[in-house]
Amino acid sequence: MTALLRYQADLLLRSQRWLPPVILYAAFLAIGVQSGQPVLDSLGYAAAGLLPVAAWLVRICVTNEPDAARACVAAARGPARAHLACLLTALLASALLGVVTTLVVTLVSDPVSNGHRVHVPPLRAGAAGLLAALVCALLGSAVGALTNRPLLRSPGRAVPAMLLAALLSAVLAGSPAQAAVGGLVTGSQSGRVPVPLLPLAGAALVTAGAFAAACALTSRRSP
Amino acid sequence: MAHNGQPYGAPGTEPPATDVSHTGLKITPYRETGQNHPMQRDLRLTAVGRRYGIRGPWVLRGVDLAVAPGTLTRIEGANGTGKSTLLRLLARLDSPTEGRITGRPHTAFVPERFPSALPFTVLGYLTHLGTVHGLSRGTAQRAAGSWLERFGAAAYADTPMARLSKGSSQKVAVAQALLAEPELLVLDEAWTGLDAAARAELERAVAERTAAGGAVVFVDHDPRRLAGVPDATYTVVEGGLKRRTDSVSSPDVGTGPVTLVVVQGPPGRQLPPDALRTVAAAAETVPGTHRLTVPASHSDVLLRVLLTARPPWHVVSVGADGTTPPDPGSRP
Repeated sequence: MTALLRYQADLLLRSQRWLPPVILYAAFLAIGVQSGQPVLDSLGYAAAGLLPVAAWLVRICVTNEPDAARACVAAARGPARAHLACLLTALLASALLGVVTTLVVTLVSDPVSNGHRVHVPPLRAGAAGLLAALVCALLGSAVGALTNRPLLRSPGRAVPAMLLAALLSAVLAGSPAQAAVGGLVTGSQSGRVPVPLLPLAGAALVTAGAFAAACALTSRRSP
Repeated sequence: MAHNGQPYGAPGTEPPATDVSHTGLKITPYRETGQNHPMQRDLRLTAVGRRYGIRGPWVLRGVDLAVAPGTLTRIEGANGTGKSTLLRLLARLDSPTEGRITGRPHTAFVPERFPSALPFTVLGYLTHLGTVHGLSRGTAQRAAGSWLERFGAAAYADTPMARLSKGSSQKVAVAQALLAEPELLVLDEAWTGLDAAARAELERAVAERTAAGGAVVFVDHDPRRLAGVPDATYTVVEGGLKRRTDSVSSPDVGTGPVTLVVVQGPPGRQLPPDALRTVAAAAETVPGTHRLTVPASHSDVLLRVLLTARPPWHVVSVGADGTTPPDPGSRP
């Protein structure tokens, strides 16, 4: 698996297809996050934006290889494991993006609640933001896994489905991402730092299920 | 022999090589030594059917096929009959819609067309694939280098994949499959696009693979490809599989290039069974002197078996088809 992950990560890095989502995400952050704003509010904004980026990175990773090259790798290690390596590479990339973003946002934001009423400890705020970012990275990866190959193969269907699913899972009540981001936003009003462990567990479960389904289907729905 | 002093496979991989001092060859052990990790079980297809989509037409149905270690299997059939689908099932790339596939040998696959749209150099890609196949980085790199050399593509090692010609990228596709010494090698028209030297080299590599206990399954449109060599030939007809029996039991020497090998041993000594398996015809001209006719692709394998036997056989002459071997009694 390590060799597969290293191959996929190298492929992602060298393909440079990660640039558009990352640049778009940076622009999204530049618009919404300014230094001196309440830290929890900004972290919630950053985490919510990570969700579609994670889904997009999954799309990049699972479509990065030509079919023939994918077949060579799949023959060596089995199509399910080869596909899992694509999904995990994308998840790790978006988690890394989430960590860096959380760090930067925590550093530039003011450790206060909305209206500068209550002091918010920056370390705890950063930890809460990191958990929320992970929830969104996980859920976005799940969305990407379920709206790309092997389930939806034509881009005409995959891309709209992916964007719609990413939007819905960010705003619909009951979604772990909505719970995590909502926790940060309300925490910013009250000045109490949330610990979104329950959303994290939920997102991990959903993602494990989505990855398992996608991997199990690769050998059934190819090429 | 044509392998730059590296008779077999990747140098430095698991099977320990033995030095045969009196011949100056380094020999990797064959399957009777049990050191080449033979397949756990045969790969076996039982009543396998495959269709794409829930209501799609059946591409294959009721296919029974067993691929034993050390065998060469040829799959024939007209365009669009489902040969590639069968190969994808054998390589475990696709799951059967119905039926069962058992056995999971370590597999390598050579696709029909290998697009080079990958952001790696040739050596970088092959090293990655080698590690994916379970080799260490160093071993993968060395194996990649030696296979590129065998296929006359060593000059492309540092070339970006995107700049390769069709033939050169096919060499990369072949090298990625061979460098891991797979237990099952699946070739989907792998010869297409290769130059003459590389085509012959691939035939020899296939012979080495089967001699080392690996199974090879191939599809090729050239009927002379490895003619007379396959242990079994199947034809895909109307979604089913028919075993061709005409040319299986007696290899038809006339259809492919052959090599004549004359060897000497003590009178009455039997030729090794591994040698007899590769030859198309054998005759004892003088007691102790054997005249062997072997498909050209398998001459290296035959010589290796004879020279590594204990005690080794004396090779009197090796010649192309039609050349008269020198007087069998004389020693060079």
